[in-house]
Amino acid sequence: MTEPLFPEALKTLIEEFTRSGIRELHIRKAEFEVYLSTEPSSAVLRHAAPAPSVSPAPASAGSAPAAVQAAPAATAPAATAPAAAKALPDNAVIVTAPNLGTFYRAPKPGAANYVEIGSKIVAGDELCLIEVMKLFTALRAETSGTVHSVLVEDGAMVEGGQPLFALVSE
Amino acid sequence: MAIKRLFVANRGEIALRIVRAAQALNIETVVAVSDADRDTAAARQADRVVVLGPASAAKSYLDPRLIVHAAKESGCDGLHPGYGFLSERAILPRLCAEYGIAFVGPEPDVIDELGDKLRARAMAKAAGVPLVPGSDCVATAADARREGDRIGYPVLLKASAGGGGRGMVIANNGDEAEAGFHRASAEAVAAFGDGTLFMERFVPQARHVEVQLMGDGHGQVIHFGERDCSVQRRYQKLIEEAPCAAMPDHLRAKLHQSAVDLAASVSYRNAGTAEFLFDVQREEFYFIEVNARIQVEHPVSELISGFDLVQEQIRIAGGAPLSVAQADVVLSGHAIECRINAEDVHRDFLPSPGRITRWEPPTGPGIRLDSHMATGAMIPPFYDSMVGKLIVHGTDRLDAIAKLADAIDRFVVAGVPTTLELHRAIIAHPDFVANRIHTRWLEQVFLPGFGRKAA
Repeated sequence: MTEPLFPEALKTLIEEFTRSGIRELHIRKAEFEVYLSTEPSSAVLRHAAPAPSVSPAPASAGSAPAAVQAAPAATAPAATAPAAAKALPDNAVIVTAPNLGTFYRAPKPGAANYVEIGSKIVAGDELCLIEVMKLFTALRAETSGTVHSVLVEDGAMVEGGQPLFALVSE
Repeated sequence: MAIKRLFVANRGEIALRIVRAAQALNIETVVAVSDADRDTAAARQADRVVVLGPASAAKSYLDPRLIVHAAKESGCDGLHPGYGFLSERAILPRLCAEYGIAFVGPEPDVIDELGDKLRARAMAKAAGVPLVPGSDCVATAADARREGDRIGYPVLLKASAGGGGRGMVIANNGDEAEAGFHRASAEAVAAFGDGTLFMERFVPQARHVEVQLMGDGHGQVIHFGERDCSVQRRYQKLIEEAPCAAMPDHLRAKLHQSAVDLAASVSYRNAGTAEFLFDVQREEFYFIEVNARIQVEHPVSELISGFDLVQEQIRIAGGAPLSVAQADVVLSGHAIECRINAEDVHRDFLPSPGRITRWEPPTGPGIRLDSHMATGAMIPPFYDSMVGKLIVHGTDRLDAIAKLADAIDRFVVAGVPTTLELHRAIIAHPDFVANRIHTRWLEQVFLPGFGRKAA
């Protein structure tokens, strides 16, 4: 598998798996191997170098915003963390918003995004901007790793503690 | 333009109170919470909840930019600040104005004016409102005696550079005024490098009275009677009543007029409270300050007037005129409120956050509870310890006291200690029943005895 394709394919696979209601799925093809299970206690694969094992509800999912009820707002509901956020690799690190604000992936309109899915980052790298009334604060990574998924749309309002990125450490 | 979606920039019981008032007016609500308040009664009741940031108030409820950003992004056209937090910070209405959000409160300039004590006193003086009799700068001991004679004893000599009680002396006659001048002046030089003093009348046994006001922002101001909040500990009110039963009617009419005149002189908009010191012996009242917000104790005024002040606040912020005329505000009966805090009264009022394991409040005619608590609810350690307000309405003061005693007896709370037991003891005290209390009564008379019995 080439690195940039891998997380997107895996994400799709997890989404389909979650939707299907299947309790266990084990795929092995050439150098690729993945094991999905809805049982928290199920076996975790320890061999096969890049093979990420996936359990459906890592602790990080618990930090998703709890209460967004019957949103009357014209803006998108804040908790946009998709199903994929609930099914991330065991070694995934969730980066959350320190406070409420508007989420921007690029330093300015038209500029390249700070990070893309598959980007390798090191601790201290800037990931995004959080704007509060025209005050833009860069959010920096606390750990090194690869960007596995971006959980919020560019320009959306995010709430304090809302998951923004999933990183996979090396 | 009437508000369609209201942002609630507060927490606890007042956030829930505001949500319910808005819902009664068919207005959508968005409640802002900190990370510690996701699962609160106001959050569950609101149409939408947004998490501002971490539990620390400085990073959530006290950040005006964060609050207004959240209000704008959640599509709100009105913002209610509640009390405490940012409710009297002019920056909040200024930021709201920038984004076309109606602020439920006074104009920012008026908040600034009233927040400056010296400017507020000057405004009161200009509006003909009585101030504590006092002097300008006092330069010599002879000046101190002359001013003391003029003001009337006892007097307080105060360092004009002062604060924290240093450079303050009480004098009961001319000789004490002269001696006190030397002492206070020396203390002031030592403490502040400036021996300048001024004097004002000292009221040893004062009551705290305040008038509930509502203005339309165009010069129309009405009042909803006065409250007596003399049961205080460390300047924190514990029990509030309406009306002030110790005040004679002729003085009451003057008090209301003074408060209305002051608010009208600045074309005051929305709810406010003018606070006064009431000298019972002399039958005089003196202006203290104006609180430019809805207050914790507003329910006692609502019970005696039968008028919903928070709904009126929201209507006025949406541009509506006052919905009642002064002549239609009819006050009846007597109301008493006690603020229930999660504090251990036997451990010097130690705040006691934690989980409520039982919450069974009394119900019945004339009993109102403003609270965000329930069995299983959590009191986080980050904010103030108030868990609710128990308010009763009786035909007169004694009837209200009896109702409150009965209500407290039937109130079951477990999991954390509360001040309910203290309230029960206060309202049974002969001084409280006879209404012989003043602002220092609780600390000087009641608590020493209460501590002994408790130990």
